[in-house]
Amino acid sequence: MRILVAVDQHPYSAHVVKDVAKLAGNTWADVTLVGVGPKMTYIGQPSNKAEKKHPLTKALRNYRRNFLDYFEKEESPYEKRACNYEFVEVKRGVWEELYICRGAMKDLKIVLRSGNPVKEILAQSQEDDSDLIAMGCYKSGDCQWEGAVNIPQKVANNAACSVLVIKKEKKIRKIACCLDQENISQKSIEMINQMVTLYQTELEIVGLTDGTALKPMVEKNLDAILKYYNARQIKAWIKLVDVASMASFISQEARRSMMALWMGEHSLLSKMFPRGKVDKLIRGSESSVLLLR
Amino acid sequence: MLKTLVYLNADLASSIALRYACQLTHVIKMKLHTVHVEEPDHDGYAPGTGWVRRTWEDAMLKTGEFEIAQLIKAEKSSCPRLGPTKMLVGDRENEILREIQRESYDLFVEGSLHSFTPKKLYDKIHSRLYRHIPCPVIVVKNLVNLEKIALIVRDEVEYKKPVSMFLKIFSGAKLNLDLIYCKFQEPGKLSFKGQKDANGILNAIKKNLIEQDWHPEDCWTIQGAPEEIGDVLRDYGMVASLLHHSISKKSNWFQLLSHIPSPILIFWQ
Repeated sequence: MRILVAVDQHPYSAHVVKDVAKLAGNTWADVTLVGVGPKMTYIGQPSNKAEKKHPLTKALRNYRRNFLDYFEKEESPYEKRACNYEFVEVKRGVWEELYICRGAMKDLKIVLRSGNPVKEILAQSQEDDSDLIAMGCYKSGDCQWEGAVNIPQKVANNAACSVLVIKKEKKIRKIACCLDQENISQKSIEMINQMVTLYQTELEIVGLTDGTALKPMVEKNLDAILKYYNARQIKAWIKLVDVASMASFISQEARRSMMALWMGEHSLLSKMFPRGKVDKLIRGSESSVLLLR
Repeated sequence: MLKTLVYLNADLASSIALRYACQLTHVIKMKLHTVHVEEPDHDGYAPGTGWVRRTWEDAMLKTGEFEIAQLIKAEKSSCPRLGPTKMLVGDRENEILREIQRESYDLFVEGSLHSFTPKKLYDKIHSRLYRHIPCPVIVVKNLVNLEKIALIVRDEVEYKKPVSMFLKIFSGAKLNLDLIYCKFQEPGKLSFKGQKDANGILNAIKKNLIEQDWHPEDCWTIQGAPEEIGDVLRDYGMVASLLHHSISKKSNWFQLLSHIPSPILIFWQ
């Protein structure tokens, strides 16, 4: 699993880094922290003034420290191992003392890009082949970044992978997963599993009905998912929602639960929230939102 | 021993209901019987009479039997002592009603997944089956652990009836019981009062239960909107309530029952 954390230098980003560190602690994911700032000159030299002036370099370094601080040094998969002389068996019965530098088991990359934040975040996620883009935003108002308009919304609209928008300081009581399609990937089920563990919360699996009943395959999936979570001692509730009541359900539920929506190709949810309208969902929700793609 | 009938269909709601009913057998002395009704086509007419009709019904039953056998097989690990399912053909509600009357069941259990809109539960409560059913009903909305149950009461209800019905089902059961008095008010003002602030009804029910050797673990009052109280009650493995068939859709009590995601046990008033 590879997680891309899109950050700026404001407190909601620091909050996301903490949450992603916990998530990474459970999943041992490769992680990239990406910041997008103004156009920069060469900042490679530690003494270079451009680095000191650039608003994001300090923030990114702090985030890296905060991320790594979450792990015990000895057990951290991201910790670079020291170089040592070690005896290695080079042929049968022949050992040679070699100077070995062991790298970290998992990758933690810090990237600073310049340009349009939305385009750069999406470009980084494509380059990394990310499974999840995580980003924060102000809890109050309509989920904005400081000094920029609708960045989380635009990223969520256009990302090819799953997107998690975390609203700072909102205690997540429940994760409501909306399900209406027939093909649910194991990866996305695992992702929900991780979210439940991360936030120590209950899970509500929401089945969309056409007013009368669930589609047989969706019902079969619900059953399988329920058994999967029950086997992992995760308390999972089932709730049926008519498509006609979906909007009022989301507006009511989004006040207290993290909304997780499976946005597959054939999903009704994709029709309700097509690319370009996902921002409505993110702006309107008081809680965090996870879009599974 | 309580004679319990569980209705089965080849669906998720029934699978949950069956697993839940099996959990019940561990805490209540009860024998589970299962039934499935294979319904004719939607127009309700069976083709022909005599041999033609019997052959047609046999074919329908075989299809239903196979599906139910699959369901039972899947749940066998959690319910090893389950007997064969009685297969009937006809109108679902009429057949279940006839079966309950014929065999004098003490309790009826069926699955109905928790729904955001109250219509589904409302239609169920006002169905012909529920209007005429002679025994209490458990509507299993979700599969939950049966560690603790709640008996919810309100002001206008005569309290001796739910207590005697409760005792009939749960006598000798190994369960923790909370007695909860629900008072409705505007949303956003959810509040709780403990035993020492309990009102007359709560105290009377508690006394009544203690006389029958049932000691509620806790007695408390919840004040709030139906959806808020429903949310609090999700922590219980079952919520028992007295209910009248004529309850209106807009009444707070009905709204509360529809918001509770846990299984509800209905004693008919």
